[in-house]
Amino acid sequence: MERMTYTFPATKRMNRFVHVGVVGSGDLEILIEPTDQSHTEVTIRTGVTGYKNTWKSVVQRFFTQHDVAAKVKINDFGATPGVVKLRLEQALEVIANDSYIKS
Amino acid sequence: MIRTLKASFVESSGRERTHGIVDENTYKELLGPWDNLESPHLETQGIVPQSDDGVIVAKGTIDEQPAVVISIEGNYQGGGIGEVSGAKIAGGLEMALKDCEAGVKTIPVLVFDTGGVRLQEANYGLLSIAEICAAIVALKRYVPVIAVIPGKIGAFGGMSITAGLCSAIIMTREGRLGLNGPEVIEYEAGIREFDSKDRPLIWGTIGGEQRTGSGFADLLIEDDTEAIKETITSIIKDDSNLVHRTEQVERYEAFLHLIDPKHRLSSDKVRLLWDQSEHAMVESKSTILEGDQTIGRGKRWFDLLRGDALEIGDVPSVRVADSMIGEKKVRLIAVVPDAQNRFPRARKGEVGLQEGWSIAKHVQEVIKADKNSKKRAIVAIVDVPSQAYGYHEELLGIHQACAAAVDAYASARLNGHPVISFIPGNAISGAFLSHGMQANRLIALRDDGVNVHVMSKQAAARITQRSLEELEEATKKVSAMAYDIESFKQLGALFSLVDVVEADTPCEKDRAVIYQEIERAIEDVWMDRSSDLSVRLTSSFAQSGRAASILVREKLNEQWN
Repeated sequence: MERMTYTFPATKRMNRFVHVGVVGSGDLEILIEPTDQSHTEVTIRTGVTGYKNTWKSVVQRFFTQHDVAAKVKINDFGATPGVVKLRLEQALEVIANDSYIKS
Repeated sequence: MIRTLKASFVESSGRERTHGIVDENTYKELLGPWDNLESPHLETQGIVPQSDDGVIVAKGTIDEQPAVVISIEGNYQGGGIGEVSGAKIAGGLEMALKDCEAGVKTIPVLVFDTGGVRLQEANYGLLSIAEICAAIVALKRYVPVIAVIPGKIGAFGGMSITAGLCSAIIMTREGRLGLNGPEVIEYEAGIREFDSKDRPLIWGTIGGEQRTGSGFADLLIEDDTEAIKETITSIIKDDSNLVHRTEQVERYEAFLHLIDPKHRLSSDKVRLLWDQSEHAMVESKSTILEGDQTIGRGKRWFDLLRGDALEIGDVPSVRVADSMIGEKKVRLIAVVPDAQNRFPRARKGEVGLQEGWSIAKHVQEVIKADKNSKKRAIVAIVDVPSQAYGYHEELLGIHQACAAAVDAYASARLNGHPVISFIPGNAISGAFLSHGMQANRLIALRDDGVNVHVMSKQAAARITQRSLEELEEATKKVSAMAYDIESFKQLGALFSLVDVVEADTPCEKDRAVIYQEIERAIEDVWMDRSSDLSVRLTSSFAQSGRAASILVREKLNEQWN
């Protein structure tokens, strides 16, 4: 198992907890928690080791494109980068549907 | 309005399934992902935990009736029951029981999708499943406990026993219900016994349609969320038609008598025989109990503890005697090897079909006989290598036989009989769940030949995809994975661990020690006002050994109302 943490600057606040996905084969679980900080902290735990660089690129690109100040926890069970991106987008969609991104 | 589009229940996640059943405006999830109560035992073994440990507990109403829906997420670790997930299920049921005792009828609904115990947390799963069983039996006195087995994984291992205890079982064609999974049977008994690649064989043995046709499930319904909710609602509204399978000892006994295990039975034949069994009678004949000299520890201790008391059992593999320990009346029950067992897969002392039903019969007998008098103690002598692995065993519902034994022991306990387990040998997996785990107090011998676990090391290594060495390494970190009785003691479930000189060839001196321990345990039960298994969590060892099990219950209690 591998554990990584990345931090990105962020400004937009959210006011609710979001949870998507499952730690199942080829999938992952994402928990997004509101924070008062002006950055996003992403903690990743994955059962597949040796893909640090890939993880970094995927989350860096995502949180550069999407401005959300939050604590993000990712529990991964071998999801491909495409699935990771889809799950992150799904989480933001849940937030958008409930319209709780406040700028 | 005509509904044209069905929402699949089978394809839904564990959480979506609870949303499909609970009235939406009343829905409240307890110990959800935000509580982040994940398994404390997985990260040390290199496995990524999940924020809800794979169990969703949702409280609310179902058609305005208070209810708790507990759903297992099959995609996370095969729906395996670990310490946290197991405590969430048991704790949720215990809270519903509390409600019922206080006059609030809270209906428990269990949505199964599980392979049984999570092997990485082995004995935690075993203890949790015993507690789930205990809660279901207690709840059934107030409300129907409803099981839904939608499919993908199904209900296997110890969790199939918990399903067998439920008042009603709803399945779809895609659901499967069996004690031992096809791969496990093939591994333990060989490909000629069960070919795990043979899909039609699997569905014809343990699939939803077969289970409903042969009396092991109540309702077969379409994979449609709304239909499932409607079915649950109709059971809640009228549960008068439900027949509790675990109490139908006579019918299942008759059913087994109609079967000749020498010939491989077909699925169709079983359905036919099940229908016939409704009117069949078992001729009572005296059984010759002697003839088998391959006795093990269980038999030796049974004979020693019984003294001069007459045997009253009716199958050679389940020995029963009414005896006295000091001034106390006790019924002794032991499962022992029988080389001539009608069912070949149960010849080495395993708990099989006949054994489960026979235990149930002899325990129920005691409950009935002592209804208006002092409740005698029941002592289960535990030396069981495993449950029986076989094709006929699954086809004829070994999980139901085990559930009947569990139900009988748990009911005896709830009715005020002190139930004591004495463990001089192996106490393993489904066999231990059925024979021993429902006891008020557990007494074990401190001896290398006394082992408690859920699966042989070889099979456990294979299924968790580790080498034997890696498995041994993991057992050092998680005492619940270890096999020895000293490690089991750390989990707090034992009443006492006894040093006896000779566990294999006990003599009268050893008997005196064990008599004393059993008496002490019985008196302890008499002093205790609770008849549940809570003592396993209040013991001093449990405070550290089962810290997460205790925490989960505390949090559930906080969030319940």
